[in-house]
Formats: sequence, C-alpha cells, structure tokens
Amino acid sequence: MFVVAIVLQTMLVSHISVLGVTADLFLIFTVVIGISRGSLDGAIFGFVAGLVADLAFMQPLGIRALTYVLVGYFVGMVVVRFGTVGPWAVFLIALGASFSAQVLYGLLQFVMGPRAGFFTILGVQILPEALLDALVAIPVYVLLIRLRVIPGPRGVEPAVSRGGTE
Amino acid sequence: MPRSKVAWRRLVFVILIIVSLALLTVTFRETETGPVHSVQQFGAGLLSPLQSWGAKVAKPFQDGYTWFRTIWSAHKKANELQSQVQALQGEVVQLEQQAEENQRLRGLLDIHDKGTYPSGTTFKVAHVIAKSPSRWEAWVMIDKGTADGLRLNLPVVGATPMAGETLAGKGLVGKITYITAHQARVTLITDSTSSVAATIQGPRAEGMVEGSLSGSLFMNYVDRDLRVDPKLVIVTSGYGGISPAGIPIGIVANVGEEDVNPNKEIEVQAFVDFRVLEEVMVIVLPEESSSGS
Repeated sequence: MFVVAIVLQTMLVSHISVLGVTADLFLIFTVVIGISRGSLDGAIFGFVAGLVADLAFMQPLGIRALTYVLVGYFVGMVVVRFGTVGPWAVFLIALGASFSAQVLYGLLQFVMGPRAGFFTILGVQILPEALLDALVAIPVYVLLIRLRVIPGPRGVEPAVSRGGTE
Repeated sequence: MPRSKVAWRRLVFVILIIVSLALLTVTFRETETGPVHSVQQFGAGLLSPLQSWGAKVAKPFQDGYTWFRTIWSAHKKANELQSQVQALQGEVVQLEQQAEENQRLRGLLDIHDKGTYPSGTTFKVAHVIAKSPSRWEAWVMIDKGTADGLRLNLPVVGATPMAGETLAGKGLVGKITYITAHQARVTLITDSTSSVAATIQGPRAEGMVEGSLSGSLFMNYVDRDLRVDPKLVIVTSGYGGISPAGIPIGIVANVGEEDVNPNKEIEVQAFVDFRVLEEVMVIVLPEESSSGS
C-alpha cells in the first residue's frame, strides 16, 4: 500500500489540481491507517510517508514527517473514542486532520518567511485542500477495506465479507 | 499488559517526533554537500523517473481539462479581443514608426546592440515533470540537471509561446534553487519568497517584482511620484546578478496608492501562465557573468 501511495501521488495526483490545490495522498493514507490500525501504526506510517514526501518534493527532510507523525497518532487516538467509523466520520476526521496538518505545516513555513496573510492562505490553500483531502479519503477508505488491505470498522465486517473473522 | 502497550505506543511516538525534529535541524544546519542532503539527492534521483513518467501519463487528462476550460471562456474572450484588435492596430502603426526612428537614431549614434544575454549564453529546453503540491511554495521540477550543464541560480524562462500573442508564454519563470544530476527545482517568481529586480518600460521606474502565497505578482518599492499606467511592460533590470537585464516579466495590471505608503502598489500580470507550464528554457549564462554578483 505504501508503494501504491508513492506511485499514485508522484505519477498522477500531483499533476491534477482542483481549485489550484492537489490532494495529498500521503496524508490521506496516513489518516486511513490511523483510523483502521490505530495511533502507533498511524504515526509510523506517517513518519515514513512524510520522509518520502520530503524526498519527492525536495523539501527540508523531516518537515512533512513531523506533521504526518502527529496526524497519524492523533487520528488513531480520536478513533479510539468513537469505536466504529462510518464514511461521514472518515470525512470529518480527514477534514480535521488535513486542516490541522496544513496549519502546522504553515506555521513551520511561516518561520521560514513566506509573505501572506492568514486569511489569504486559509482561502486559497488550507480550506480547499482540506475539503479535497476529505472527499478523496472516503473512497480511498472504502476501497482499501473492500480490497482487504485494512480491517473494516471495529465490530463491523467488510461489506464483501462472507463470514469468518479478522 | 495494556498499560505497557500504551507506554510503548507513546515511546515510539516521542521517538518519531524527536527523529523528525533532528532531521529538520540537521537539514537546515548542514551544508549542501552534507550527508542528509546527499541522501535526499539520492532519494530524489530514485523518484525522478516516476515523476517523469507521471507527467506523461497525466498530460492527456490535463489537456482535456484545459480544453474544456478554454472552450468555456473562449466566447467571452473573443468579444473582448475583437475590440482590442482595433485599438491595437492603431498602436502597431505608431510603434512601427517609433521602431524605424529608433533604428535610425541607433545608426547615427553607432550603438552596438549587445542583446539581452551576454555572449557565450546557451539555452536548454527542459520538460516540467512535477509541480509544488501546495500553494505554500511555488516551484516546478524539470528533467535537466548538472549532467546537462545546469547549475544553481540560473534564470528560467517560458518555452511555450501562446498563439497570437507576442510575449505571452515567453516571460521569466524563475530560477534554479535546487539541483541534482538529472533534475532541478525551479522556484517560480510567484513564490512568496521570490524577489526580482525589475524596470517598468516607459517611465523606467524600478522596483522589485515579488510573489505571494495567493499566486499573484506584485511590483513593490516603485516611487509613487512616478507615473505608471496599466499595460506597460515590466522587464528584469539585471540588478542582483541572477537574471540579465531585459527579460520580460509581465505587464502592469493594476496600480494602487495609499496615503501612508511612499511607494505604489502595482499588481503584475505575468506573461507566463504558471498553471499550464509544460516546457521551460533555462538560460545557461557563462560562469563569470552569473557568479560575478
């Protein structure tokens, strides 16, 4: 799955922009892993995905790794409180995770000195990408469950399951 | 057991945070030839073929999207252009007269036209293989690097002129800010950290063309006492030593003034459409002319 994320992000998703932003598959996969496998796996996946993203986008090594570790860990923590997760919960969690990740990333960028007001970047980058990431997260989550790459929501078997347990 | 599991989870989390912060610190503190940068260059080299292939795969989809968007606005634009054509035809006659006069006066003064670029300058056309994933940065990755004779800080211009417009698509794109053997990152002039010394043709007003996170270009530090009209052409002034003088950047789109600001606020419309960059041209200046500043 990790290789698929790299290939799709670098080959396809990075080249298709909607409203001036592109979906961040590394972040979306980190969120999905955090939801389905918990905070430990989410943090580890986020770390490695962040390092690869830093390499692919030639950015300072560690900047996205730090952001995605936090995302993977806290998504896992949040899901523990819910118990089971449906598509709308995935949407809301991904929306919140993408928004928080970008604000954190923005703070790190701000230290390096870009010129822009907070509301400008909120309107042109943070909100559109958070929405796009959240929308893409739902089909990615459902698809990965159907392909049995990740376990379904706790207590609920995948839709295609014909019996048996995980 | 559950208690130790929680402790283990927290320990791993803290370790990952510390490693990320350590990597970030080392990246900023070490030189370009340091071990972390070397690893990064190696990793980027491995991913480069994927990105290059991806650019080719995504091109039909991008072209389709661009085609629909173009059709959508073509009708409206056609009407606008119709009225502009009539006005421009009058201006062309006037400009032709001025060009003739200019040539005649140059001949009289025996001025040798040195051209925009210093002698020994060569050009490398490169394909865009990746773009910045967010608006926090504005850059493109190209498929040429040090192995092709490129180096840091070389200026890059557009290589895809748009039909019917003389300068559209051919203006300044940015400069190389990161380079490996077979690829380079070109930071666009729309990047929020980019500044280019520029001159407005006509009043010869000087200032700095700067990018912003919104993707707009602004020309700052232009004296408000100077008269600047919309549609005047802005070119590089050559100060700072990165770009030679005379490379077109864009036109004045909007001029604003505030009582408390001693400078004009000029919005710039770039000649290059940064959203659809596919090919660019790197201006390979002779070593002494680019390193001399």
